[in-house]
Amino acid sequence: MNSEVTQILSAIDNGDRQAAGQLLPLVYDELRRLASQKMTREPAGHTIQPTALVHEAFLRLVGSEDLPSWDSRGHFFAAAAESMRRILIEAARRRKTEKRGGDRQRIDLSSNDVVAHPEDSETLLALDDALQKLDAADHDLARLVELRYFTGLTIDQTAELLGISPRTVKRNWTYARAWLRREMEGDGPA
Amino acid sequence: MPHLSERTIFVEAIEFDDPQERQAFIDRACGDDAKLRASVDALLRAHDAPENALDKPPVDVPLTNLPQALGSMIGPYRLMEQIGEGGFGLVYVAQQESPVRRKVALKIVKPGTGTKEVLARFEAERQAVAMMDHPNIAKVFDAGVTDDGRPYFVMELVRGIPITEFADAHKLSIHERLTLFISVCKAVHHAHQKGVIHRDIKPSNVMVTLHDDRPVVKVIDFGVSKAIGQSLTDKTIYTRFFSMIGTPLYMSPEQAEMSGLDIDTRSDIYSLGVMLYELLVGETPFDRERLDSAGLDEMRRIIREEDPPRPSQRLTTLNARMTTVSMARRLDPKRLTTRLRGDLDWIVMKALEKDRNRRYESAAEMASDIARHLSEQPIQARPPTWTYQLRKFTRRHRVVIATVSLVALAMIIGTGASIWQMRVAYHERDLKEIALREANEAKRDVEQFAAIVTTANSLVASAQTHAGAGRWKAARQDFDQAVQQQPNYDLPWVSRAQFYTQLNLWDEAADDFVTAISLGSTSDTPQWWGAACLFELTGHQYAARELCRQLDQHIANQQPIDHWEFVRNCLSCKDGISDASFQELARWTQAEVDQSDASRPAAPSSNGRQPPGRSPWLDGALWDNGPQWEGEPQWDNRPPRGNGPPHERRAPPSIFFDSKQPPPPPRPNHPRVDRRPETRESSQSGSPNHLPPNRGSSSQGNTSPENPNQRNPDPWGVNETAPIARPGERPRGDAISRPWETPRPWEQPLRSSPPRPSPDRASPHDLPPNVRQYITGVAYLRAGRYEKAIEYLQQSHADQGWPARWLIDAPLAMAYDHMGLADDAAKALADSRNSLTEVAETLALQETETTIPPWFDFVEYFVFYQEACEQIEGAPPRDLPSFAEVREAALMRLW
Repeated sequence: MNSEVTQILSAIDNGDRQAAGQLLPLVYDELRRLASQKMTREPAGHTIQPTALVHEAFLRLVGSEDLPSWDSRGHFFAAAAESMRRILIEAARRRKTEKRGGDRQRIDLSSNDVVAHPEDSETLLALDDALQKLDAADHDLARLVELRYFTGLTIDQTAELLGISPRTVKRNWTYARAWLRREMEGDGPA
Repeated sequence: MPHLSERTIFVEAIEFDDPQERQAFIDRACGDDAKLRASVDALLRAHDAPENALDKPPVDVPLTNLPQALGSMIGPYRLMEQIGEGGFGLVYVAQQESPVRRKVALKIVKPGTGTKEVLARFEAERQAVAMMDHPNIAKVFDAGVTDDGRPYFVMELVRGIPITEFADAHKLSIHERLTLFISVCKAVHHAHQKGVIHRDIKPSNVMVTLHDDRPVVKVIDFGVSKAIGQSLTDKTIYTRFFSMIGTPLYMSPEQAEMSGLDIDTRSDIYSLGVMLYELLVGETPFDRERLDSAGLDEMRRIIREEDPPRPSQRLTTLNARMTTVSMARRLDPKRLTTRLRGDLDWIVMKALEKDRNRRYESAAEMASDIARHLSEQPIQARPPTWTYQLRKFTRRHRVVIATVSLVALAMIIGTGASIWQMRVAYHERDLKEIALREANEAKRDVEQFAAIVTTANSLVASAQTHAGAGRWKAARQDFDQAVQQQPNYDLPWVSRAQFYTQLNLWDEAADDFVTAISLGSTSDTPQWWGAACLFELTGHQYAARELCRQLDQHIANQQPIDHWEFVRNCLSCKDGISDASFQELARWTQAEVDQSDASRPAAPSSNGRQPPGRSPWLDGALWDNGPQWEGEPQWDNRPPRGNGPPHERRAPPSIFFDSKQPPPPPRPNHPRVDRRPETRESSQSGSPNHLPPNRGSSSQGNTSPENPNQRNPDPWGVNETAPIARPGERPRGDAISRPWETPRPWEQPLRSSPPRPSPDRASPHDLPPNVRQYITGVAYLRAGRYEKAIEYLQQSHADQGWPARWLIDAPLAMAYDHMGLADDAAKALADSRNSLTEVAETLALQETETTIPPWFDFVEYFVFYQEACEQIEGAPPRDLPSFAEVREAALMRLW
């Protein structure tokens, strides 16, 4: 168990605002490391769920024995969502520039990539753009999308982490989902 | 803020399923703001568009828990609405178009294990699953694979709530919970017999829905859990801190072991035990938080090795939650503990045995044991000690034993008890003494019971006093309290029913009467006079049959009839009493009517005519012109079949007199020698004592508007002074002269505020001629002798004075119809229909105006009118008035 992350989480719990800043790189590194580790073990063509990665990272970094409060779990998952988003976007950008489209069975182990379909890379980048716009318009909404999409949290779990009702989460999610889609299609208002 | 309102409009708009309604809403919401309109439309387009990037996981393995786009098709099913989300995946409401159009529940399983394995496991069990056909098991219709390779199951759509939540939300008593649970056991047993094991029985898989206000259990996911089950255990380890996957709380030790040991039906028994535990105690045997936070190995160890506390023990550790838990079970904390201690502890703990060989063999066996407990029989789960069985015996007879105390009490107060009751009392008291010696617990219960009965009796008395004074709310509160304190004692129920009839709250009244019947109440008090028709009218046909059956029995035993109003009411119920009884009744009543007619040739009703304005009902001055009624031997002295005690000869009900009226002239010498002048005198003056509502039903003539000053101020016979004070009469009533006939308090009709003796032997002697003729006519109608029926009904109809004369038209119409007299039938039915308005208005007056026919005349009228319409017009009447308004007023007074 990584006691460093546990310490940071309890520091956040105790009101240390700077601690949150230290969390992200730790989670980010762990996720990348896990992803590449998986890639080496799994047969070619097999892919990974970001959700599974996040949960595994949680187990490794925080552990299940002494569970932190939901509050600090929230910080963990926020960090994990942002990390996962970064990892995926980095991978998509690299793939786009490297034009490795036809060869998705092969994995560049050295790049610590998470595998994705080439057409997914386009979509993912477009989504990332739209998400940035949403972030500018409504930060909370963007955060909700990030949590759900990149860590695979359910409505109920998201609700618990954000401290709002599942109904609200569902409504906000529905709206954000349509909003992002409209943005990605260039069908937005003016 | 176009952004904000765009959001609001969008969120609202997607709630509309119907596209037209949605459009209309958007039109309204956007007004003429074209820009807003365009952005909302774009949002909605984006919402409905297929393949939203957000619905797919960011990498190419399909992620779970991201909703499938609503509206998309999975096989032949169109997703309509997401209704569930859990460890297994997602549940949707889906519309199936063919081969049948219906809504179903569609469960998409989370990927994880191979789709093929899941489906193969399901296929293996499919045959057995298809064989299950039980109303309490949700059917599994279909299984398949989605385009992205996830298995799905299609099931009967059950919109209910988990059984534990239902029980708490509806504050079900322990008894009700057990009854509900028995049906769960039966459903599970059915599945087991078909070879299907559930493997994941827990409250969220046992849903309760309301059908016609009755809770119905549905066990869902039979056959599904096994198919997806094996992957569950792996996942449980992985994500247990989220409780994403089924909780280990309901898992049997052998399941927790995960050692590959075969799982059989007894695992389900264990889970049933956990659920019963939770239904009773409000908590699971093992603490939820403790199991959730324990590591996997620790969790397994707890389930395998630790013995959970007994339910009654567990209650004591609930501390602050105890009050909530016991309130949801309608008991105080102490009583709840007592209730669970013993049998229920044993039953639950037997189901929770670690060693499955020691659990119940089957769910049916568990159900029977619970049923045995409910009927106070010794249960199987408990070692059969001698004291235990004896205690069971005394508990089973608790009501009898307590009745003893009540009877003894009643004697002390002097409310009277017959020799027979004494003997019962002695007998039962002996029994009680044995019980007391042998079982202290039973003794306490008995004492408590007797105390509560006493309280209940005084509450009823208090309620009746309040009601008599028009303090409805206070009356209701007392009645409610009485019923609540002693739900197994029929008196409070009957009394409250009568209270409700007084307020025209017929549904409520019928419900209370039904409860009283189920408690073994007999229908031999005046409160029951209108109950048969009330039951017909409120849809309690079974209860109506039960009353009629009691009457059949009574007639078959050739017992004298004490309550002709009750007989009349039963006669009004179609197919109510047996043909033999109809024949018998027709014979009795005709004999009575004819005899009195024969000895009274000039009787106004014998030829169906009388001078206008001369109705004895209407005209008190009739006495001046020759009191044909007074002192006449109108009815024979014999009891109907001669084997009862001789009926006293009665003068007509003294409602014919009015204290405001001049006294009648001295009685003419009557040819008949009165053998018991004293009795006659006294019964004359005291007859209201004998005939309370009877007078309401039959002799309310002086309420006629033509004669307002003749209104009887006391139609219920409440005011005894009216007849007694009549000059020239001896001021002595039966009540005074015959103290041994003082009724038990609960026999007093509610409408009388001062206590009044019960109507002893209200034989037809006391009924006015037209009521007798009416009863005779109806009896003939039911006996299939229509000519006779018409004859007597016409006679009865000819007398204008009876305020409830509108009763007669409908049965008359039916008799005509049977005789093929279509025109007459139609006319009589039309007459009956024409009375509807009058009847409804009179009814609405009932609470303010006491001098109108009693409630049972109304129910009788409606029942007959309904039957006549069905017989003659072939359809039930569409113009039965709505009593909502009357009801409303009454309800407002009550609450």
